[in-house]
Amino acid sequence: MALLEVTDLRTHFFTREGVVHAVDGVSFAVERGKTLGIVGESGCGKSVLALSIMGLIPRPPAKIVSGSVVFDGSDLVRLREKELEDLRGREIAMIFQDPMTSLNPTLTIGTQITETIRRHYDVSKQDARKKAIELMEEVQIPRAAERLDDYPHRFSGGMRQRVMIAIALSCDPKLLIADEPTTALDVTVQAAVLDLLDDLRHQHDMAMIIITHDMGVVAEAADDILVMYAGQVVEQAQVLELFDHPEHPYTEALLSALPQIEGEGIRSGRLTAIPGRPPDLIHPPEACRFASRCPYANANDTCATVMPELREVRPGHQVRSAHPASERAGSVVGSEVPA
Amino acid sequence: MAINPPEATRAPLVEGERTLQSGAAGAPLRQSNLWMDAWRRYVRNKAAVFAGSVFILLVLYCVLWPIFSPYDPYAVDFAQKSQSPSFAHPFGTDQFGRDLFTRAALGGRVSMLIGFGATLAILLIGVAYGSISGFVGGRLDNAMMRVLDTLYGLPYLPFAIIILAIFGDASLWTLMVALSVASWFTSARIVRGQIITLKENDYIRAAKAVGARWFRVLGRHLLPNTLGVLIIAIFLELPGVILGEAFLSFIGLGISPPEASWGQMANDGRTVYRTSPHIIAVPSILIATLILCANFIADGLRDALDPRTRET
Repeated sequence: MALLEVTDLRTHFFTREGVVHAVDGVSFAVERGKTLGIVGESGCGKSVLALSIMGLIPRPPAKIVSGSVVFDGSDLVRLREKELEDLRGREIAMIFQDPMTSLNPTLTIGTQITETIRRHYDVSKQDARKKAIELMEEVQIPRAAERLDDYPHRFSGGMRQRVMIAIALSCDPKLLIADEPTTALDVTVQAAVLDLLDDLRHQHDMAMIIITHDMGVVAEAADDILVMYAGQVVEQAQVLELFDHPEHPYTEALLSALPQIEGEGIRSGRLTAIPGRPPDLIHPPEACRFASRCPYANANDTCATVMPELREVRPGHQVRSAHPASERAGSVVGSEVPA
Repeated sequence: MAINPPEATRAPLVEGERTLQSGAAGAPLRQSNLWMDAWRRYVRNKAAVFAGSVFILLVLYCVLWPIFSPYDPYAVDFAQKSQSPSFAHPFGTDQFGRDLFTRAALGGRVSMLIGFGATLAILLIGVAYGSISGFVGGRLDNAMMRVLDTLYGLPYLPFAIIILAIFGDASLWTLMVALSVASWFTSARIVRGQIITLKENDYIRAAKAVGARWFRVLGRHLLPNTLGVLIIAIFLELPGVILGEAFLSFIGLGISPPEASWGQMANDGRTVYRTSPHIIAVPSILIATLILCANFIADGLRDALDPRTRET
């Protein structure tokens, strides 16, 4: 059985304007020791999904209205808050987007690491300190022993993200959720942090979920990719399969919106943007949510009225679209697919 | 903003690489934290430093002088009555011949004790009420704030008078209760506002993400971060409370004679203000000085602890 199995998860926000369907029927699984990348544009529900798994959604206004999050045999949605607290940090850890604000400015780095260790393990202060120094060395913070008693403002963004990683790893979790771990960092630092995360994942034998809007990040780090659009999963496949043979028009558009060094479109000198905007999540259309922006959808197609189901077009490759690339008549991409 | 120490004092770190530039590894780092930075900003404010010094002198005078004074503050001596300030009696004597310099120190003790005691009580109630309201949020928060809105309608001094009437006697403790019971509303609101703002911080979510329990989140991550505002609040509340005590004593509801408080002393001087104006002037000036100092200190502290409020 997979380490984490999310089934038909729906997280809604009950606001004055109406019910926001932030996560609307998402299912996926993460195997032990594997990395799942979740991509999608801002506001597609990636972060809410992560917070729903952790049980950290702001309640109210948010609420998990249905679905299950089975982690290591127990359904996190049905756990009591107390049991969930014991699990957080110890079994599932999370790294947040902005390292500049994720550390308490009034506590030293050392305090913040040892606190987490002592929260979950019954160890002395000295032992926790020793472990904290080891962790800081592991995330490659120079002169770890000296810097332990420094306050966060003395660390750069990249260093703070390393501290966050050290805190996340402090109790050897089985699953690490990284919510846009490199978005707030410089490009050069991004690569270093990603490499570090990947190394540590191997050493600690963790499973990882990387949430990002950067296709480059998932290409590097993930084994499987989940593409989200307007609160739903629109495509899921192994990383190479997805990059080589994207099926959903949205995934195709995402990939062609990437800056490329070679290939078609390079001459024009401009990036391809996706026209239109994602649908309103308070009143999501009954139809395919991408229909209004989809270059292949016609007004008399079924997908203009009925939501397409997530279906398997190839083994391990699922897509939610009436017009996957491999089924488009005469499409170039489709003809490339090996039989 | 002087939050970060100058770059030059830091050893250069090479981000993304294992190594640190050799040679710089042993460079000493100048430790700095919030309080040191705040202190540096505070001492830059000359008015606040002056007010702080006067305040400390005033406190020392009140605490220490009665011990060393050659005069008995309660000994009535009509031969010495109503003397103007002189070398022997720097503040003169009152109409009962008691040395005002000694009595003013003694009265200051009572006034400050009640002032600080009531302020502390105000803050404790305010922190408890405000932090629960802000931390729990939702319906409870809404209910608690509506209750507060209603309580806000209570006039502070009449309410204190009623409380004193209920207790029937005016001692140090009853005065503290009377002065704090109807004046903690503002501090509760301040704390609630702070907690609500801080609650949205990423590090609160991060703390929860590693399994921190609610009391830890509140006690370790939220309340310490409100400390700056609370310290400012102490010096903002203090003048009102001291003035309240003075007022109650002045109208005869305060500490009973022959015990002294500044308000009580002013009340003594009221009857003879035509012939011996110094008797009412001494406690009045002391009250005014203390309040003025507290206001300047609060001002300096606000600039020191919350530098964003002063972008000049």
